[in-house]
Amino acid sequence: MKGHSELRINCRARPEVASPMRHAVAAFLAATGQVDAESSDDILTAVGEALANAVEHAYEGVEENEVELFARLEDDTLAVDVFDHGTFIERAPRAGRGFGLKIVEAIARDVSVNVDNGTHVRMIFNRQAK
Amino acid sequence: MSDSIAVIRLSGELEIGRKAEVAAALVLAGNESGVLLDFSDVTYADSTTLAEMLRFRDEAAKAGVPVVIVIGSKQFARLIQYAGLGDAFHIFENRGEALTELSRMAQA
Repeated sequence: MKGHSELRINCRARPEVASPMRHAVAAFLAATGQVDAESSDDILTAVGEALANAVEHAYEGVEENEVELFARLEDDTLAVDVFDHGTFIERAPRAGRGFGLKIVEAIARDVSVNVDNGTHVRMIFNRQAK
Repeated sequence: MSDSIAVIRLSGELEIGRKAEVAAALVLAGNESGVLLDFSDVTYADSTTLAEMLRFRDEAAKAGVPVVIVIGSKQFARLIQYAGLGDAFHIFENRGEALTELSRMAQA
């Protein structure tokens, strides 16, 4: 039987929770003992961008909601889902913004964003750096 | 005539929870001939910090003030590359090289 490791976290969507949630993912990756330091840094960079996007909604007048993170490591693949149950905001392009998704796409093997019911970002990573 | 190099030093994790603090730190005093952003002790950064760095870079450029940046963390350096901003800043790995270049730029 093949093993796997999972992590699930729910927090109020506030800017100050992004850092502890990212640190929880760091601890999870370290505990698995299966992800090297450089890959872990990159994965945490991408996860941090997804979390920042989710909690930033709190800055924009949307009713406060939860942000949920689910990570699952199985074989050579790590899947990380970040859910924001608030209303997706179509942002007008702003100077110096919009790097988050570009950064995530540069790191993850596959990225999908679903905005049908809140925002759901799914990131698939190889255990080794891309 | 301005003749001073300003050093703005931030440390730790520069992420969305510190967005306001980073924005407040990255301001021009008005009398500097150049600015060194010393991020030697920054251990993590996200795109909210990149946005503030770009905003500060543009404000400094309008004022004719050169800016150099020292980055010590590999994560921070890779973040800039992943964002496609490798050519957007004057980045150095150590403070001495950054100050030498800043002096040259300020005198140019």
